[in-house]
Amino acid sequence: MKVVVCVKQVAALGDEVEFTADGRDVDPDFLEHALNEWDAYSTEAALRIREALGSGEVVAVTVGGGKTEAVLRRCLAMGADRGVRIESPAADPFAIARALASVVERERPELVLCGVQSSDSVQAATGAALAGLLDLPCVAVVTKVDVGGDGRGSAHRELEGGLLDVVDFDLPAVLTIQTGINEPRYATLRAIKQAEQQEIEVLSCPAGEPAYSVRRMFVPVRGEGAEMLSGSPAQIAARIAEIVNERLA
Amino acid sequence: MPRDPKHDILFEPIKIGPKTMKNRFYQIPHCNGYGSEKPFNQAYFRAMKAEGGYGAVCTEYCSISPESDDTHRISARLWDDDDVKNLGLMCDMVHEQGALTAAELWYGGPHAPCMESRAVPRGPSQIPSDFEHLTYCKEMDKDDIRAVQKMYVDAAKRARRAGFDIVYVYGSHSYLPQQFLTPYYNKRTDEYGGSIENRARFWRETIEQVKEAVGDDTAIAVRMSTDMFMGEAGTQLERDCLPFVELVDELVDVWDINVSGISEWGEDATPSRFYPAGRLLPWQAAVKAVSKKPVLGVGRFTNPDMMADAIRAGQLDIIATCRPSIADPFLPMKIDEGRLDDIRECIGCNVCISRWEIGGPPIICTQNATAGEEYRRGWHPEKFTHAENSDNDVLIVGAGPAGMECAMVLGKRGMRRVHLVEAEAELGGGMRWIPQLPGLGEWARVVNYRKIQLDKLKNVEVISGTRLDAKGIAEYGAEIVIVATGSYWATNGLNGCTHDTVPGADAALPYCLTPEQIMDEGKPVPGSRVVIVDNDGYFMGISLAERLALEGKKVTLMTHLGHVAPYMHFTLEAPNQHRKLHKLGIETVTYHQPSRIEEGRLVATHVYDEEGHERSFDADAVVLVTQRRSNEALFRQLKDETGLDALRAEGVEALYRVGDCVAPRLIADAVFDGHRLAREIDSDDPETPLPFKRERHVVSAAV
Amino acid sequence: MSVLVVAEHLRGKLRDVTRELVTAAGELPGPVAVAVIAKDPAAFDVRLAGVDEIVHVAVDCEEFESDVYRAALEALIRERRPGVTLLGFTVNSMGYAPAVAAKLGLGFASDVHGLAQSGDAVVATRSFYGAKVQAEVDFPGREQVVLLLRPTVWPQAENGGGASTTSLPVPAGASRARHRSFEEQPPGDVDITTADFLLSVGRGVEDKDSLPELAALAEKMGAVLSVSRPLVDAGWMPSARQVGQSGKTVKPKVYLALGISGAVQHLAGMKTSGTIIAVNTDPEAAIFGTAHYGAVADLFDVAEELDKLY
Repeated sequence: MKVVVCVKQVAALGDEVEFTADGRDVDPDFLEHALNEWDAYSTEAALRIREALGSGEVVAVTVGGGKTEAVLRRCLAMGADRGVRIESPAADPFAIARALASVVERERPELVLCGVQSSDSVQAATGAALAGLLDLPCVAVVTKVDVGGDGRGSAHRELEGGLLDVVDFDLPAVLTIQTGINEPRYATLRAIKQAEQQEIEVLSCPAGEPAYSVRRMFVPVRGEGAEMLSGSPAQIAARIAEIVNERLA
Repeated sequence: MPRDPKHDILFEPIKIGPKTMKNRFYQIPHCNGYGSEKPFNQAYFRAMKAEGGYGAVCTEYCSISPESDDTHRISARLWDDDDVKNLGLMCDMVHEQGALTAAELWYGGPHAPCMESRAVPRGPSQIPSDFEHLTYCKEMDKDDIRAVQKMYVDAAKRARRAGFDIVYVYGSHSYLPQQFLTPYYNKRTDEYGGSIENRARFWRETIEQVKEAVGDDTAIAVRMSTDMFMGEAGTQLERDCLPFVELVDELVDVWDINVSGISEWGEDATPSRFYPAGRLLPWQAAVKAVSKKPVLGVGRFTNPDMMADAIRAGQLDIIATCRPSIADPFLPMKIDEGRLDDIRECIGCNVCISRWEIGGPPIICTQNATAGEEYRRGWHPEKFTHAENSDNDVLIVGAGPAGMECAMVLGKRGMRRVHLVEAEAELGGGMRWIPQLPGLGEWARVVNYRKIQLDKLKNVEVISGTRLDAKGIAEYGAEIVIVATGSYWATNGLNGCTHDTVPGADAALPYCLTPEQIMDEGKPVPGSRVVIVDNDGYFMGISLAERLALEGKKVTLMTHLGHVAPYMHFTLEAPNQHRKLHKLGIETVTYHQPSRIEEGRLVATHVYDEEGHERSFDADAVVLVTQRRSNEALFRQLKDETGLDALRAEGVEALYRVGDCVAPRLIADAVFDGHRLAREIDSDDPETPLPFKRERHVVSAAV
Repeated sequence: MSVLVVAEHLRGKLRDVTRELVTAAGELPGPVAVAVIAKDPAAFDVRLAGVDEIVHVAVDCEEFESDVYRAALEALIRERRPGVTLLGFTVNSMGYAPAVAAKLGLGFASDVHGLAQSGDAVVATRSFYGAKVQAEVDFPGREQVVLLLRPTVWPQAENGGGASTTSLPVPAGASRARHRSFEEQPPGDVDITTADFLLSVGRGVEDKDSLPELAALAEKMGAVLSVSRPLVDAGWMPSARQVGQSGKTVKPKVYLALGISGAVQHLAGMKTSGTIIAVNTDPEAAIFGTAHYGAVADLFDVAEELDKLY
C-alpha cells in the first residue's frame, strides 16, 4: 500500500512582531519554522499502517521553497521512504492543494494523509480541497484508523464535545489526521543524519489563483483585559454558568 | 520583550543617605567563603551580581578586629590597609557596573571563637556562646566599650578608603550591638544595661561615632533583628526594636531588617521546607511604619510581582535578596527585560548556607552551577563560549539534574545536535519524586527551569518515555555519548557504617522498602509500625519519617550516627524538623545499627556497645535509607562489554558519564557535574576537570 | 447577490451554529436562504428572523456523510449561484466544504470571525500565526465565496420571519465514506490537552483537603480538573494535570481558572483558550489581563454557588 503524507513547514511567531512593508504579512525575521504539529501525527500514522501491513511505501510531500526540505527530512528520519518537494509560491490551502494534487495524481496512492490543520493558518482546508480536486472521498478529523488490504478502511472522527463518528470508507481516500491519534516516534541521530543524505525530488508548479488575498494584517487591539463580573458569589456563579453553557454549545 | 509596567517600581532609583541606588535590587550581605584573603574570587563573585543588574552589592560579614575572628568560618576582614586593597578590588569591579557597594562591619563578641587570631572577644556580659559552645567573652568595662567603638570607627574609615558607599553597624544574628540590646546577652547593671535606653546606648553611640567619622559621604546602614522569638529574654519587636528605630532613625540612612538570633537563624534564612517567600514582611513593614528612612530586607524573593507588591504596600522600599541572587545573579536584568521564564529561582534548600555552616568551603548552589566559579573557573552564568568541537552530535542518556544541565549547557554552547533521552515519561530523574516529600515542593524548580530552557534550545531535542540499551546507544548515531543514569538506594542494607549488607534486608520482600519503592513505585508500606534505617544523614530518612507519620504510621527513625539527619543542621532545617518529629510522635533512636531484619522485627545494637547487646524493634515495615549506589550498569556495559573500539566503529568517539551514576552526591553536585563536562567538552580530555585557579602564595625562585 | 447558509444538525437536533450563521448572513446584502441537507429536512425548523427562503435537500443518509453533503452543496451552489455561502467552522464542514469550493474554483476562508463589505465584495477577518495576528482577507476576481464561520462569535438568530420553502432534488450518488455509528469517548487516562472545558485551580486552594470538592464540582460541570504548578510541586496532583510552560499547553473552549494568579509560565500554557474566566481575590492578579471574564471573589464562595446550579 502506498501512503502519501502531505506535510507543512509552519511558521510560529514569538512575542514580538513586525509586518512587511506592504502590511500584508509578518516580517519573516520574526518567524520561526518547524514541522506542523499535526503532520508529525499523520506521518506516524502512515508509518504504523506500513508496519501493520508489513509492506508498503510512505511518501512525504511538501509545498514550498528550499528551506521546507527540513520537514521532509524529519519525516524521512522518522522512517518515510521518499520525500518530494514542490517548489511553488503557493500559500493558501487551494493553491497548495493544487500543487499537491499534481504529485498525488502521479503517485496514485491508496491513502493520502494530511493534518487536520496547520498551526499557522488554521484553515483546516487543504486535505478536503485536495480530495475535491481529485474526486477522492474525504474523512476529516480522524483519531483512529484501520486499513486492510481489501480496499476498505474504517476510522473514528472526533466531533465537537468528544463524540466519535465511526466511518467506513473506500480506498483511495484522503484522511485529515487529528493530534493525539498516536505518539509520534522519535528519530535517532543516525536516522537524522541518514535523512540528511537522502535525495529529495523537486518538482515545480505554478501557484495559480489563491483562495483569498490578504488586504492587511495587524495586531489586534488588546481589549482592556477581562470583562469583570460583579455582584454576589451567587450572581457571579450564575453568569459563569451562562457563559460556560454558551461556549460549549 | 518589554518590561511589565507593574514592575517599573522596582527600577526607580532611591536615595540612601548621600548615595543614590539605581534601582531597588540589593544583594544583601552574605557569605561566600572568600573573605578578604581571596580577593579575586570575592570581587568576581560580587561583580557578577552588579553585572546582573543589582543596584547595590554587599560584602559578607566584615570583621573589624582580630578579636572578631570566626575561623573556621570565613568572614571578610578590614583590619589593615592590605585588606583595604583587597576589598578595594571588589569595589572597583562593582562600581564599573554602576552599582553601590556596602561593607557589613561586624564584631561577633562571644560568638567569635578566634581560632586563627587566638585573641579574646569582648562582650556585654560574660557568657558562653549559645552558638559556639566553647567560646567565652571578656566582660566589657567602659574602656573596652570605647576601644571596640573605636574599632568600628577605624574600620569604617578603612571601608571608605576601599571605596565602599555604605557601611553597616551590624547587629542582626546576635552580634555585638544586638547583644547589648538583648537581655539574653546583656546582664549589665551600669548605664549600658537594664532599660531599653541603656541597652540601646552602645549601638546608638557606635552609630553616632561611625556617622561622624564617615557619614558625610558614606551611607550608614543598620542591620537589626526585630524579634529573636525568645520571648522576654530576646529582642522583642514592640519592647526593644521599634523604640530603638525611633531613637536612632535620624542617624541611619537605611534599615536592614531581619528576625531571629544566631542559634536558630533558619527562622530568618528560611528554608522553603517550612516557610514561603516573604516571611519577614510583617516585621519589615512594622519598622517601615515607624521609620522615615528607607527599609530593606530579604525574604527569599524570586517573584517580581511579590516584590513590586511589597514596595507598593509600604512593607519595604528596597528588595534585598541573598539566596535568589546566588541562584540567579541576573534576576534584576531578567525582570527588566521581561524574561521572567528565564529566571532561575532559588529553591530554598540552603545548601549554599550549609557550606558556611560547615566552615571553610566556598559557596555552591543547587540551581546555579556557576556560583563560586566566576573567578576560579571563569564561568559566567549567562555566557557560554561556542564549543570548538560543535560539529558533533551528542546523546545524553538520562534526564535527571545532571543530564538536563549537561544538555542545556551543550545546547547553549552550540553543539550541532543534542538528544536528551529519558526512560521515564517525565523528566527529572530522582527529582521527579523528591519534591513530593513533605515541604520540598519548591525543589521542583530545578526540573522546571531546565525544562523551559531545553524547550527553547533549537539544537536540543528531549525524548522521554524511551529506554535505550547499550546496543541502542551504540547505534544511535551520536559522536559523543554521555551517560547520566543517576543512582538508586541500596536494596540490601549496604551502608556506610559497616560497609556490608544487613542480613535479612531485601527490598524484594513486601516488608522491606527503599525510598524509590515508596515514592516512585507506589509500593505499599505494610502495617502500622515502621522503622526507618537512616545511615544517610541528610533529608531522605527524616522526610520519609514525616511522610509516613502523616499517613498515620507509628515511625521509628534509627541511625548509627549521634544525631538524625546531621546535615540538616548545616541547612538550618534541623530545629523545625525536629519539632515536627516531636509533634508527630516519631521516635528517634541514635547510635544504633541493625544487625538483622526479620519479618515483624528489626534487631539492632548500640554502635559503642562492645558486648553487642541486641535490642529488638517491632517493625511491620523497614525502610532502607542506608546508602545510595550509582546506576552504572549501562555505562559499564558500554565501556567493558561493548568496548570503546566497537563504539568507535559505530561512530561514537567519546563516552562520558556525569552525575550520581559516577558517585552519588548532592543534587548541587550532580548539576555541577553536568555543567562542567559541558563547559569543558572541547578540552583535550573532557573527562578530567581542567585545573581551577587557586588564590595562594607561591614561593618565587628568586628570594 | 444572495447568501446561502448551510444548516448543521447532529442526531436529530439542529446545532446552534446554524442560528449564528443566519445572524452573520444578515450582515451581508441580499436575500438569505438556509439549506437543510438531511434525510428528512422538514424535521429541522429553520424559520429564523432574517431568513427569506428555506431549501430542503433530501439525501439518503440520517447523519453526515462527506460525499453526500459534498454533492448536495455542489448542487446548491451550481443551481442557486449564491455570492456568499456560509457554513460553521465545524468538524463536519471541514470534511466537505473546502472540497466543493476548491473543485468549483470559488473563494474560500475558514475560521472567520468578522465580516464586512467593501463595495460589492465581502471582506472576512480571521487570525493567523496562532492567533497572534489578524488579517482582513478578500477574494478578488471571485464571484462566489465559501466562508466557514467560527462558532459562538455571532449571536443566535431568534425564531421568526416568513420564509418560503423549496426543495432541491439531488441525484443519489456514491457515498464512499459511510457513517456506521456513534461512540462515546472511553474515559481513559486524564489528558487535559483534549478537554473542551477545563476547571483549573491554583494556589488560591490553600489546603489539599479542598481539592476533592473542587474535583466533584468539575465533574458536575462536565469539566476536567487541571492545576497550576504550585499544586503539582506540593504533590497534591500529578503533573499530568499541570497547565503551564513546564506542564501542558491547553486550548479548551472554556478555561475556568479559580485561584490562579496568572504567572507568566502558567499563562503560556493556556492563553489561547477559547474563553477564559478567572476568579481571584486579588484585583491585580495578572490573569485578569488575559482572561475574557473575571471576578474578584473568593473561589470557594463561587464554587459553592456553582455547585448549587449543577
